Amino acid sequence: MDRFTPAIAITGTAAVSAAGIGIKPALEALTSDTSCLKPIPDDLVAGKTGHCWGRADQFKATDFIPPLKARKLDRASQFAVAVAGMALVDAGIVKGAFPSDRIGIALGSGFGGIANASEFLSGYYQAGVPGLSPMLFPNTVANAAASNASIEYGLQGPNITFIQRFCSAETAILAACRFIEEGRADIMLAGGVDELTPQMIRGFAATGQLTRYAAGFGEGCGMLVLERAEHARARGAAIAAQITAINTVGFLLPGVEQQGINHLLQAQGDCDQLIFSGPELAVKPLLNSVNAGSTHYPSRIIGSSLAMGGIALGLLTASLQPGEQGLQLAASPEGPYYAISLRGGSPA
Amino acid sequence: MSPKRIVITGLGTINGAAKTIPAFQEAIIQGKSGIAPLDLFDVSQYATQIGSQVKEYHPADYFSPRQVSHLSRTDQLALIAANEAVTMSAISGCYDPYQIGVCIGGGVGGMLHAEEWLQGELSNKPARPGLLRTLLPDSSTTALAHSFGFAGYQGSITTACSSSGTAIGWAADLIRSGRQQAMLCGGADALTMLTFAGFNALKVVDPNPCAPFSAGRQGLSLGEGAAFLVLEDEQAARGRGAQILGYLLGYALLGEAHHMTAPEPGGESAARVMNAALSAAGVEHGQVGWINAHGTGTPLNDVGESNAVKLVFGERAPQVPLISTKAITGHCLGAAGAIEAVASVLALNVGIIPQTLHFRGVDPECDLDYGHAGSRTTDTRIALSNSFAFGGNITSIVLGSAALQQEVC
Repeated sequence: MDRFTPAIAITGTAAVSAAGIGIKPALEALTSDTSCLKPIPDDLVAGKTGHCWGRADQFKATDFIPPLKARKLDRASQFAVAVAGMALVDAGIVKGAFPSDRIGIALGSGFGGIANASEFLSGYYQAGVPGLSPMLFPNTVANAAASNASIEYGLQGPNITFIQRFCSAETAILAACRFIEEGRADIMLAGGVDELTPQMIRGFAATGQLTRYAAGFGEGCGMLVLERAEHARARGAAIAAQITAINTVGFLLPGVEQQGINHLLQAQGDCDQLIFSGPELAVKPLLNSVNAGSTHYPSRIIGSSLAMGGIALGLLTASLQPGEQGLQLAASPEGPYYAISLRGGSPA
Repeated sequence: MSPKRIVITGLGTINGAAKTIPAFQEAIIQGKSGIAPLDLFDVSQYATQIGSQVKEYHPADYFSPRQVSHLSRTDQLALIAANEAVTMSAISGCYDPYQIGVCIGGGVGGMLHAEEWLQGELSNKPARPGLLRTLLPDSSTTALAHSFGFAGYQGSITTACSSSGTAIGWAADLIRSGRQQAMLCGGADALTMLTFAGFNALKVVDPNPCAPFSAGRQGLSLGEGAAFLVLEDEQAARGRGAQILGYLLGYALLGEAHHMTAPEPGGESAARVMNAALSAAGVEHGQVGWINAHGTGTPLNDVGESNAVKLVFGERAPQVPLISTKAITGHCLGAAGAIEAVASVLALNVGIIPQTLHFRGVDPECDLDYGHAGSRTTDTRIALSNSFAFGGNITSIVLGSAALQQEVC
């Protein structure tokens, strides 16, 4: 049902994660099973030791953005601007070479904007109206990351941001593929971005999530460059893989769970490589229905986040040999569920 | 094969002007504003102390104590409005539950409750951790999906003030593309200190009730609320005998890539999104009777949007009323697009163009017809509704009245 005709080509990928800058270090960590998570400093989780997080410590915004501009951006926007730039370069897309209104961006944003909101409100609660900083307010919105990237690169096509539990990026990627399919855009940047702050860790600790769904939480950004295969060929771009189908269900309805799983995994039961994201417990009902040559769980290596689908699909794209079938599964405890099918290489 | 036409079979709302669809229809016809003094939180430090808060709202009138403790104010407003829409549509049981999805445009989600937690943190008086549970706006989407047993698509669009306009357009496309058979879509956003303080800090809040497109306007009036629509494929809806309340004919979205907070002054991108929406809808410019403007009442928005309408309609622009229902509901941020879509459908179906309230005088830079003199009757069946947002995320949707049904039969 949710197959794309023609298939959507992936012509660029980029990422920032706890493993470093780019897809390559994350892929090396994943294939060597080397965790990039580090202990959370004790002062953030007083009396609660043994917790780890996946901060993108190697990321320096000023490596990608002029210092004065970087200071005005929240961390999620810094990630998005840097990764969007790297993804466009990877796809061989030069600013101005294509009509700006035919290039868009769709991002999943986990906690984007929350850090600025917390800082802005703290100013008010501590000092009243004089403590308000107008500069902080614009970047309290979740769409700040995608919008700042669109402003930086002049992307005037469709622009959309989603938050949907642990499937925020997958939700955005579905929209991006559809915008290309129906001709709203020729090229879409799509993926996810999430930031991790000490304040969030305190919130996770207070709600008991450090031992549940926020265990080993991470941050970073991953994006794909998507376009129709014929569009990619016409401009001489290399096609790394194709998105052949995206299926989703909101939740597994009690009593008819298998019907939901069947809907999700239709014709995708076998694959050469499987990557999954979201809490393991949530994904487990799906894993039992798939036969995979190899299975990877990048959350264990670079940390999980609400919007890591962009990184997960970037890793899957980089792993696939031409003709190989890849599958990304993503799930949240209360839903939704996603299954995204990839085929390595260029279509025949 | 002609593309699927998407019909509206359910409507629901709760906002500062009305708590049900019949009451909202009356508020639109009569031009009754919900903007009044706020008491949801302490606004005594601000020069502006008004907004469009849901009046005499008692959660216990709608929810059990356990539900109240688990649902944010935004979640509650969403459930109330969505329940009205779902009940009106009588859709439950008519489709495979995996074929009915939920798409919400959100804003601050449960921030109102997280603010209480943050205050506790800052004063070393830890507050109830459960206050953080509903922080993100996807909480409302999950609550609706589980409450109604709609197990299909779930999505929460967070493009600030254009969130729910986009959510309606995207939901319609999920049906048009065959991914879902029906969608519950709309938006919900509660008033919070974050947004009240934020817009005040930017000095874009009018101390008096907002006066869109008027001389001397100083900015917006904030509001809160929720609105939902049930969308279906026309053929399927007719097949089950559903009452057709209107049409979602098309939409467009884009990024201005101009500035995080300021709109393009010339309105070029806003014109582009309106033209793209009309094109997607297959609607000629001459068929558009009026526009439900983004119309916040800020000096910049109202001039830019007027310029955009001139670019779209050319010499006909003065004959296409550009009205704002935000003077009735306040600016409900993430819920604004949905509330205005519902307002537009209600107005189309009773054959009126609503009044833009609170006229203070003619602004020479706003030289179109803004409906300041009063509401008027019309036989037009199609309206545009605009939603513009921080980050340059702009959306336009094309709505048709129920009477369009006769034209396509």
